[in-house]
Amino acid sequence: MRSFFYWGALLATTLVLSSCKTQMYPTVSKDQYYQIDGSIPADSSIINYYTPYKKQLEEEMDRVLGYSDQHLSRTRGAESLAGNFFADALLWKGQQLDPDVTMSFATKGGIRADLKAGNITVGGIFEMMPFENAITILTLTGKDVLRWAAFIAETGGQPTSGITLRIKDGQIDEFLIQGRPVDPDATYKLVTYDYLANGGDYVTVFDNVLARKDYPQRVREALIEYVSDLTKQGKHIQAQLDGRVEIIK
Amino acid sequence: MEELKSLNRRTFIKQSFALGAVAAFGTLPLDVLATDKQVRLTILHTNDVHSRIEPFPLDGSRHQGLGGVARRSTLINSIRKTEKNVLLLDAGDMFQGTPYFNMFEGKLELELMSKLGYDAGTFGNHEFDNGIQGLAKHLHIANFPFLTANYDFTGTLLEGKTKEYLIIEKGGLRVGLTGVGIDVEGLVDPNSHRGMTYLDPIPVVNRVAKFLKEEKKCDLVICLSHLGYAYEDDKVSDLKLAASTRHVDIILGGHTHTFLDEPTRIKDLDGKEVWINQVGFAGIRLGRLDVVFNKATGKKNIVASQYTVDKQFDGLVNV
Repeated sequence: MRSFFYWGALLATTLVLSSCKTQMYPTVSKDQYYQIDGSIPADSSIINYYTPYKKQLEEEMDRVLGYSDQHLSRTRGAESLAGNFFADALLWKGQQLDPDVTMSFATKGGIRADLKAGNITVGGIFEMMPFENAITILTLTGKDVLRWAAFIAETGGQPTSGITLRIKDGQIDEFLIQGRPVDPDATYKLVTYDYLANGGDYVTVFDNVLARKDYPQRVREALIEYVSDLTKQGKHIQAQLDGRVEIIK
Repeated sequence: MEELKSLNRRTFIKQSFALGAVAAFGTLPLDVLATDKQVRLTILHTNDVHSRIEPFPLDGSRHQGLGGVARRSTLINSIRKTEKNVLLLDAGDMFQGTPYFNMFEGKLELELMSKLGYDAGTFGNHEFDNGIQGLAKHLHIANFPFLTANYDFTGTLLEGKTKEYLIIEKGGLRVGLTGVGIDVEGLVDPNSHRGMTYLDPIPVVNRVAKFLKEEKKCDLVICLSHLGYAYEDDKVSDLKLAASTRHVDIILGGHTHTFLDEPTRIKDLDGKEVWINQVGFAGIRLGRLDVVFNKATGKKNIVASQYTVDKQFDGLVNV
């Protein structure tokens, strides 16, 4: 009996119109889906089930890591407090992993939230960096470092640490790494994260890296460690707008 | 089974009019279709739930207040009260997206899916975010199988822990299921999928679907897919998979977070329509496809309609 199955579909109204003739060519105009919103009462047994997890999660998210004296905001400007905090933490972690690292790089778009003044919690760091991106250290020629700096200049500044960059008319006016000019024939190590090293966020300048090392440490974990480390030293987060990236007229 | 073979045409027409009459009021009481001559299978599906245990917070964001596994549970239970033959399926990326995953490594997602009574799932790329080891660690919690026909886990911790296919018997029907995942190269840290071999999903699905239809005599073949709905380049997608295979009836997709308001129908290599559906992400929607099997003629139809779960609908599901 399981000989041959004709595969068709029907919509109620179409069926009505066609049923006096044949069932063979029905159509469907719409899928059925359910929007899960507040009109559906929550199943209390499920809520009861995950409540202990939620409590544990909230305790962790509310865990205070450190303290910031000021609101670390993201701006579209050449540098921002949030961007400098983020890039400083990245450089700190990068230099722990490889002492030859001299600069760090993130993008404005990758920093997802400000950090409010006062207690810095795990949850706050999660909001700032919800992605699972992990640390990557790139070895670049001086020439490619200059291309990278040119990218930062063209895009009106990006979160970075370890460098000084003066931008004029979207181009490099002055560029120093750890206070020294770039030698186009030397090699440099830069810490960033996998997503950007892979060309994410329109970063196309890492197409010629001499070496790349991907680390399992997540950027978010690096931020948490950085704040915890400051706290251990009795310090608050004191990100500054220090003119590391500056647009001059 | 024999008595189911005869179809009374008059009965059929009567049902059709009944159906149309109610449809005119703007709702579709699918019950009308279920008679002893017909068997209806109700397929419920999710994809890319991404650890969204609770609804999105009310913070002004785009999806605020939507989703939530406890509401999904209510909805599924209410559908199970009215429908005899329900399948609940997931097309991958259960994990990653809220701190629940970061903190509990996917354990809670698997526990809750088990409580909700999922029948099968497949792996999305984010299932590998804690590595094969991390995935293997909690996988035993799931009381349902994962179908990963194009991932070869031989020699890894996941060897033997997933299935190529599954046959579920519901209401006298044999439903064959398989599942395929995306090429994780470039999407997943190489350390996190080391040892796993990705196989081209098209020949794999062709082989498994043919086996399910011809050898295992399945009435319906469903492919769970985390390939993605469509791409601008040559990358294999659900649209491409459908057009390049035989014997697959339904593809329930994921990965691209595509909100399809209606399923896409694509002709397969035999010119037969394959239904492709995907319901966005984060458990904002629950997809439903009702497949009506006509025992007498061996025809099967998909009944679908659209309605949003709001207060008006509440009364309907609680009937």
